[in-house]
Amino acid sequence: MLNKDKEEKKAYRRFVIPSLVIFLFVMAFPIILSFVLSLSNFSGGKMFGGSRWKITGLQNYSYLFSDSYFWNALLNNIYLVLISVFGQLPLGMILAYLIYRKTVKGGEFWQGILYVPSVISVIVIGIMWNLIFSPYGPVSQIINDINTSSFTKEVMAVLNGHLDLNGSLVVNSSLIKDLININAQSAALLGNDPANVLATFLKTLGTENLKETGVLLTNLLCPKWSASFLNERGVSMLPILFVTLWCWTGMYLILFLANMQKIDPQTLDSAQIDGAKESTILRHIILPELSGVIMNSAILCISGSLSTFDLIYAMTGGGPARITQVLSIYMYEKAFTGTPNYPLSNAISIMMVVFSLILIGITKAVQKKLEGNR
Amino acid sequence: MSIISNRITGFWGKFGRTIAYIVMILFAFMAIAPVIWLIINSFKSTIEFQTDMVGMPNNWVTSNYKGAWKIGHFSILFINSIIYTFFSVGIATILSLMTGFAFAKIKSKATKPIYSLLILGILLTTQTLMVPIFIQVSQLDMSLGQLFENLRICRASDFSLFYNSRFGVILVYIGSILPIGIYLSYEYIKGIPTEMVEASRIDGASYNRIFFSIILPMAKPIMITLFLLKIPQIWNEFALINIMVSKLNLQSLPLGIYKFSGTFATDYGKQFAALVIGLLPMLMFYVVFRKQITESIGEGALKG
Repeated sequence: MLNKDKEEKKAYRRFVIPSLVIFLFVMAFPIILSFVLSLSNFSGGKMFGGSRWKITGLQNYSYLFSDSYFWNALLNNIYLVLISVFGQLPLGMILAYLIYRKTVKGGEFWQGILYVPSVISVIVIGIMWNLIFSPYGPVSQIINDINTSSFTKEVMAVLNGHLDLNGSLVVNSSLIKDLININAQSAALLGNDPANVLATFLKTLGTENLKETGVLLTNLLCPKWSASFLNERGVSMLPILFVTLWCWTGMYLILFLANMQKIDPQTLDSAQIDGAKESTILRHIILPELSGVIMNSAILCISGSLSTFDLIYAMTGGGPARITQVLSIYMYEKAFTGTPNYPLSNAISIMMVVFSLILIGITKAVQKKLEGNR
Repeated sequence: MSIISNRITGFWGKFGRTIAYIVMILFAFMAIAPVIWLIINSFKSTIEFQTDMVGMPNNWVTSNYKGAWKIGHFSILFINSIIYTFFSVGIATILSLMTGFAFAKIKSKATKPIYSLLILGILLTTQTLMVPIFIQVSQLDMSLGQLFENLRICRASDFSLFYNSRFGVILVYIGSILPIGIYLSYEYIKGIPTEMVEASRIDGASYNRIFFSIILPMAKPIMITLFLLKIPQIWNEFALINIMVSKLNLQSLPLGIYKFSGTFATDYGKQFAALVIGLLPMLMFYVVFRKQITESIGEGALKG
């Protein structure tokens, strides 16, 4: 019997220790190291036997708390948490529900397409959307094309209103006034005396080919739209939030749908035979069945959004001027660009761990309370 | 599926259905339009792209791909990505099953504390720890290198076991998979009847034998789930390899593409080709295993 116990213990160790060692090496030890370094003044070089460093206390944390970049990064992280929990999850839920209740047919097909963004490398996604949103990218092009064609129509209307009986254009002050009135703002950009500029322009152009004149006037006067407004504080996070939504909604759709399909169909049938309304079914059968999955997804969403790095690193790199930075990017910047500030970087890392634990704790508490109510 | 749940009644009716279809079409379009746009534009020359970013190419050129593949050293990147993904997912899966087996079928007081520690690892993503991991691996290399130099085994600067090494990358990846891997394995193996293990024990089978001849074959579904969930994730991983590796010949596909797009930011043709090369492997993986991946997501979720 004793021999058997011994063998059991040996086998247990053999099966557990390799995993445990790797786990300690990759996760547990770095946390401890990070905490120690966050309290120190270590500035690179050899830790043992090389450069001197010592524990200096909490000064890195007090620096962080008075650092506006830190708070800005944290705020951006909070935006990401909010868009994930209140964007991805509900959207995934709605889409899954539509497929599950067969409101739309061909569930497999929609599912298959909507999951595509989730399999693509986030780096590729980041670079791709950065190109799409860039000030001179395709979005600008499409909007400008639309702008231009409607602008051309207006210009042509004005030109057609100033034709003489032979059908050729009469260049006079009223024509020029009308042209300027289409868009006074961009006309003002032509110079001190836009009327004069336009008159010269029309003279050199000649007035034979009305259509060509219209196009050229459009090029001259139509305001160019560009997505450069996205560089401003306040809106610069919007593309990132949008892409976050774009990336992962499909995954939650599939997750929720898979769990809806585990619900016993007879429960639904009998509810419907009893005359239950759709909203009742949703509230009293589907959502309660999924509450565990929803809560766990929320937890994963939160921890994922707090540690997000790749997407923003590839899309904006935290720029312009650090306004789209999140904690992980700020941490990275402090450690790997310019003169490394390892203690501060590690303090950020520890703060990220702390925030995750707090938010997960809150979610768990909410979960307990909801379960208690039921 | 039942007959009755096909019928949508009341408020939904025809109007609701139409709205639902519009929503679906809109989302589906949004999901794939950018990807299709990317693929189409990878066949335009840079000049053509700059004059027209939305339309179809006038003549389809493939030179972008040839150029990007060569300049970006994509053959090296591909081989590296395959090595990293294969070894880290493979080894992590085996280790997860081993540990899950021990937790589920061998009684020990150590299980509870170790397991709760590992579960915490699911929520603390490894990315959060990239700076301390970097410091840890580089310091280890420095210290061990110094030790070996003193022992006259090799020069300190030649020593790189953890930083800038395939071993180091794979080790960190395994560590990032283990928490969820062990969780899923443990939950699954718990469901295998203990009597089977006990009967084999009475017959004199060792735990090794039980693991390999009973547990492993029965745990096939969870192995597949782990493969399907983790292969795309490790293949696409960026944050960790970005800090673990600086040498070109060790870079993975996402890292290579990131560097490439930085260098060739204005050579749109090649950049698009590089991005398509980057998204194609996992897109194909998904197309081939779509059904199984969809199932795995349901299986691989954390349960209550």
